[in-house]
Amino acid sequence: MADTPVDREFTITRVFEAPRELVWKAWIEPEQVARWFGPRGFTTPRSTITMDVRPGGTFELTMIDDADHRNYPSGGTFLDVDEPERLVWRDRDIDLLVTITFVDLGGRTEMTCHVVGRTGGAQAYDGWSTMFEKLAASLD
Amino acid sequence: MAVDQLSTTFAALADPTRRAILERLADGEATVNELARPFPVTVQAVSKHLKVLEHAGLVTRGRAAQWRPARLRGLPLQDAAGWLARYREFFEASFDRLDDHLRALQAERDG
Repeated sequence: MADTPVDREFTITRVFEAPRELVWKAWIEPEQVARWFGPRGFTTPRSTITMDVRPGGTFELTMIDDADHRNYPSGGTFLDVDEPERLVWRDRDIDLLVTITFVDLGGRTEMTCHVVGRTGGAQAYDGWSTMFEKLAASLD
Repeated sequence: MAVDQLSTTFAALADPTRRAILERLADGEATVNELARPFPVTVQAVSKHLKVLEHAGLVTRGRAAQWRPARLRGLPLQDAAGWLARYREFFEASFDRLDDHLRALQAERDG
């Protein structure tokens, strides 16, 4: 089957009050990733994080819900590691491609997170999202 | 997130006839014969499509003998509609924490 169509994507842009090298390190050093990765109310223990930050290298981590201690293991494979400008990985569990870019604003850093989701099985995408919304609305 | 369920959902939705069946069921439950009527396919073909939708958890079938009316089941669809939105929320929340973390690091350095 040919490459499946992109059916969902989004971009988040943030400016951090920190130099680019610092932001980059926050992404690739497990000690730091443990401090911020995951939603509020979750902990990603350092002991669960392994990262092989190079193209083709993999990463694994487990987010734990502070409320009920349920574990949410996650991981992926780095496709591109271009220090300190670009980090690209593919999620291990779902066909999700994440590209993080870092732009030096002189002491501040603009970070862009672009996520593309693909779903298997479909060759002809003809407006699922509209149908989903319509159907979901009809089910509320 | 139940990833396998999501893949099954999307695979089931990949077919235009199945999507049309779901839209029809959004108006209320229907038997295979009723479902087959508007489509240029046989009752057997609609029955096959229903099995795929049932397997994906998108449709439930009644137990009433041979009629077995099919009914739309919404949860997997809502998952499909919302899964990337949830990833977005996930990243937004993480980046809030990253911002806090970077501020704390800077404060340590400066202090």
